[in-house]
Amino acid sequence: MKMRKTDIGVVAFMYLVCAYFYSQTITFKADSQTYPKFTIVLLFGLTTLYLLQMVAAAKKHGVESGVDKVFADVQPVQLLVCLVGAIAYVVLMYFFGFYISTVIFMAAILLYLKVPYLHSAIAIVAILALVYFAFGKFLGVRLPVGTVIKALR
Amino acid sequence: MLETLSLMGAGFVNALTPINLLMMAAGVAMGIVIGCMPGLSAAMGVALMLPLTFTMKAETGLIVLGAIYCGAIFGGSISAILIHTPGTPASAATAIEGYQMTLKGKAGKALFTACYASFWGGLLSCISLYFFAPLLAQLTLKFRSAEYFWLSIFGLTIIAGVSGKSITKGLISGAFGLLLSTIGLDPVTGAKRVMFGQAYFAEGINTTCALIGLFSMSQVFILAEKKIVERAQATKFTDKMSLTRDERKMIRPTIVRSWLIGNIIGILPGAGAAIACFLGYNTSKQFSKHKEAFGHGSIEGVAGSEAANNAVTGGSLIPTLTLGIPGESVTAVLMGGLVIQGLAPGPELFGKYAAMTYTFFAGFVLVQFFMLGIGLLGCRGFAQISRLSDAILIPCVTVLCCVGSYAIHKNILDIVVMMTFGVIGYLMRKFDLNTAAVVLALILGPIGEKGLRNALKSSGGNPMILFSSVVCWVLIALCVVGILSPMFMGKLEKKAEKEATGADPESPDEVVDIDVEND
Repeated sequence: MKMRKTDIGVVAFMYLVCAYFYSQTITFKADSQTYPKFTIVLLFGLTTLYLLQMVAAAKKHGVESGVDKVFADVQPVQLLVCLVGAIAYVVLMYFFGFYISTVIFMAAILLYLKVPYLHSAIAIVAILALVYFAFGKFLGVRLPVGTVIKALR
Repeated sequence: MLETLSLMGAGFVNALTPINLLMMAAGVAMGIVIGCMPGLSAAMGVALMLPLTFTMKAETGLIVLGAIYCGAIFGGSISAILIHTPGTPASAATAIEGYQMTLKGKAGKALFTACYASFWGGLLSCISLYFFAPLLAQLTLKFRSAEYFWLSIFGLTIIAGVSGKSITKGLISGAFGLLLSTIGLDPVTGAKRVMFGQAYFAEGINTTCALIGLFSMSQVFILAEKKIVERAQATKFTDKMSLTRDERKMIRPTIVRSWLIGNIIGILPGAGAAIACFLGYNTSKQFSKHKEAFGHGSIEGVAGSEAANNAVTGGSLIPTLTLGIPGESVTAVLMGGLVIQGLAPGPELFGKYAAMTYTFFAGFVLVQFFMLGIGLLGCRGFAQISRLSDAILIPCVTVLCCVGSYAIHKNILDIVVMMTFGVIGYLMRKFDLNTAAVVLALILGPIGEKGLRNALKSSGGNPMILFSSVVCWVLIALCVVGILSPMFMGKLEKKAEKEATGADPESPDEVVDIDVEND
């Protein structure tokens, strides 16, 4: 199997994680350093082993980009909209509470994904009812009210 | 012996309470819905429903999770039979014969066979659960700190090698998870360790949030990256859902063989239902007196695959409950559920918490009956649900992930952590890293740390204590086997898949025409 250039990112990320955790670990008391150091060495060693495997694969079979395989058939805009939408949903929930933010988030995403209006309405009502009864009533979870709504009250 | 029998009896009495029965029915129905939707996986479903079990009694919570697990494994066969798209990889082999039967207007018969075989596979697997689990748990009584350290490493080597293309990447995932498990207060001295200046991280990373993020939220992103396409229309079937007496007699030996295969595969850490279904299918083909029917809609083929994948469920619970070593993603999530309830796998489950454990076992037996009933009665309805568009699933699952994470501590930061792990999980899956290994490392990390530090403390810092007993050496040997076994399992799966479909899964020229959407 050819070496994938995309795996360089994986290796670099793992080395960065090791470096960050090491920089933190050396500030701990000696006794607290044992186990984190063990895991850092383990991750570092395995990442280096993988790097060596990559080099061996590159020498034997050559190198390929890997982007076309890792992100084959990916719809970047759609993915980004859903990701940003999910983050915005959490932010909205903090300010406006669960129910309002859920209606806005679901309506926006369903509209963007071109789901028929009737299906969208059914999905929103079904999810709100499920959460209300399963979490609100059955588990007794007080769902976020939202800072803005709290202030308005 | 008598004590065990009385515990088993008491387990059934406890499991038969109305609330437990209600939860079994709800769990199975939820599991089938999750399993039959090709966009969702069993592990994802169990992770998503985990927060719902927090306030329940431990046994009820575990029964719900077990019911979702069994339901999801069976549910995958509905879409495999009706739309030629297995809901879960565990039903990939079912699609071969099941869809052929549908094309011949025998969808009802195929679904009945799947349900009937799943029921027997699951039910028979409970025998080994009752028999082997307490015996294996007794073994861990001999474990001391050093052995617990090696046990945690063994657990990681097993899961790290599963389902990934590269064993090294799987191990890297496990080590990454171990490193993340060091976040928070030192469990021995109470000193702060990598808390990013947030008191929130004092107790470390919330395993449930990480679990929901890595399994469920990442799946949302996987769905969101694909072009939304309308699923194939589920075939409306008019034939009767039943088998003749001769047909039942014909599939009986197939079910028994597949039960044995599925059970052994389930007990072996590192193997899973996806391998079992192909092995069950191939064995049914080898022993069949009607080999010519294979490839054209054989009920033996459907029975062989379905009995095997459901027999995995009971078997896989054995190493999970006794040693704390889940063999696959779903049982890793189930173990998370166990830990969240404040329980630890091992002899305590069969001693101090024996009543709870045997209630769960009894519940697991009863779940199989619910699966049969709900499966047979609801097949037509579930078939329609399996067509639900990804466009609807994306926001719905996102909302459930957020609510589930929030419900744990009623803290919005939990949602942020879940979302972060969702993105990490998505990237890990894109780059062939193993999310299950991270979850397991988060659970096993503290156990390993305590084992290592207590062992070193008792030996005055001499690391040779880690190699001081026979059990330690056995566990070290098992770690080596754990690292090497994925190579063997991978070959076994490829061979079974090749034999079943007649195509080489590695060869791009020979595409197997079954669309498995989950991992």
